[in-house]
Amino acid sequence: MSVAIAGVVWLALLGPVIALLAHLSAGAIGSSLSAPGALTPLVVSLESGAVTLAVLLLLGTPLAWLLARGALPFPRVWEAGVLTVLLLPPLVIGLLLVFMIGPFTPIGEGIAALHLSASNTFLALVIAQVYESAPYYVLGAQAAFSGVDPRMEQQAALLGDRPWRVLRRVTLPLAGPGLAMALAVAWARAMGAFGAVIIVAYHPYGLPLQIWTTLQETGLASALPFALVLLVVALPLPLAAYIWSARARRRRRG
Amino acid sequence: MLDADVEVDRREFTVRADIRVRPGERLALFGPSGAGKTTLLEVIAGLVRPRRAMITLAGRVLTATAPPRAAVPPWRRRVGLLRQDPGLFPHLSVRANLGYGPAADRSGAELSQLAGVLGIGDLLAAMPARLSGGQAHRVALGRLLLAHCDALLLDEPYAGLDASLRRVLTTLVRELVTARQVPSVLVAHELAEAQAFADRLAVLDRGEILQAGAPDEVVRRPATRRVAELVGYRGFVPAADRSARGSRGGSRSGAAAGLVAGIHPDRIEAGARPRRGLVLTGAVLAVRPAGAGWEAELQVADETVTCRLAERPAPAGRELVVTALDPPWFGPDGTAAVRPPQGEQVGA
Repeated sequence: MSVAIAGVVWLALLGPVIALLAHLSAGAIGSSLSAPGALTPLVVSLESGAVTLAVLLLLGTPLAWLLARGALPFPRVWEAGVLTVLLLPPLVIGLLLVFMIGPFTPIGEGIAALHLSASNTFLALVIAQVYESAPYYVLGAQAAFSGVDPRMEQQAALLGDRPWRVLRRVTLPLAGPGLAMALAVAWARAMGAFGAVIIVAYHPYGLPLQIWTTLQETGLASALPFALVLLVVALPLPLAAYIWSARARRRRRG
Repeated sequence: MLDADVEVDRREFTVRADIRVRPGERLALFGPSGAGKTTLLEVIAGLVRPRRAMITLAGRVLTATAPPRAAVPPWRRRVGLLRQDPGLFPHLSVRANLGYGPAADRSGAELSQLAGVLGIGDLLAAMPARLSGGQAHRVALGRLLLAHCDALLLDEPYAGLDASLRRVLTTLVRELVTARQVPSVLVAHELAEAQAFADRLAVLDRGEILQAGAPDEVVRRPATRRVAELVGYRGFVPAADRSARGSRGGSRSGAAAGLVAGIHPDRIEAGARPRRGLVLTGAVLAVRPAGAGWEAELQVADETVTCRLAERPAPAGRELVVTALDPPWFGPDGTAAVRPPQGEQVGA
């Protein structure tokens, strides 16, 4: 009985994916994807996603570590800050980003001084993706680091390891599976980022905007193949992270 | 030689201790939970910052708060710390755990030899999750020894294990630290564990070392009543009035001298043996089996005295005469006092 209930819920959750697969035809995929420039959004999404992940790794990982180790004063305030970004609807993030980094703001002018712009550019796309995905990565990475017993790190230090060696030999390997999962979730959020992106980075088109504009211009049927592409592109990294984490955990169990 | 003169603030009190441990010597810091024992070890290991300290190990200054100041980081102290949780790295095999320390010998000859001594030679390829508690502790010990630490700190490492395993591991540590001539400090809140390990015992309470000496000496001749309480004396009986000696229901005006005898449950014999100690006469309050013998609660004057006896004593309500063997005496200020003449008796 419980299996049946779980099965119904599981199928319902997968319903959209099933619907997507059921409504696609090889001909529609071929004609949609073979149109001139049809694959450009895919490249844009992959490139901006990769840069977003790099930014998250570089800036989010140290913050997550400090949060996990309680190394910051008033830790609840810091956590609440990250949670606030998580709770802001993406559309609102986009609106607020205009006021924060738009061309007529101090930050926007600073960016302009570097001959860059955070409005309808690749940079704007990355910024929007970072804001939409960062809280997922930081909170996930914080949980991953919290799972590493500080006494384990102390033990490694007492055995003669300097802090960076402790990080490399103990902290990162132990937090690794959790970090990978956090990164995978952040990747999926970044690839699917739409709300903030549509406001600050209508151009260059990534996949979500390609789906949106195709839907607007030529209708549901021609947008579906791009949905499949988005799914196919967004999935492998989370899947690989999941498999790697599961293998790492299995290996630890011996 | 490990030499640590330390003052470190804790929330309720300041831990002040000055310990000196020679190579191969085994010191046990014994005291109740929260006495500051672990804090002291963590200061020596460099994990906790002291208010004032001068710590040297094998001729190296590890911590000095007075000029010239020194604060050697944990990774350069060469101090091994073993806790109740063996702290094996779960992502590394037993072999990789054993060889973790940068100082561990790379050829593997010492590793294999030590693994044999520790009885974990067959487990080198296993992951820590597969090990039993005892096996994990053997690996943790081997890992410290292979890192060639100059001092070994043991923070109640075997407290969670069953008694027989605890005994085996304690013996193993004793033998290995003696063979390698490493100074070692064990923290314990159970006296038997401290005695089984140490050749010197220091009693710590609320951050102060109250007494240090040979384990049997500290237990048989506690310096203060508080030390006596900590090492297991249960019941402090006032000396009887000399005039009332031997009389039942004798007055205790002799307490004018203010002396009390500390009664240890294990240092009691049935019957009156005035030449061997203090004869106590009292009503039996309760009798229960304890280990291979019996434990009786005895009402002596206003004090309840616990005694462990080989033979089953008289049942509750009856009178019982026992002798507390050569008990320590304490003055009104709680310090050890010169014992009164043999043959003293105290009655109910």
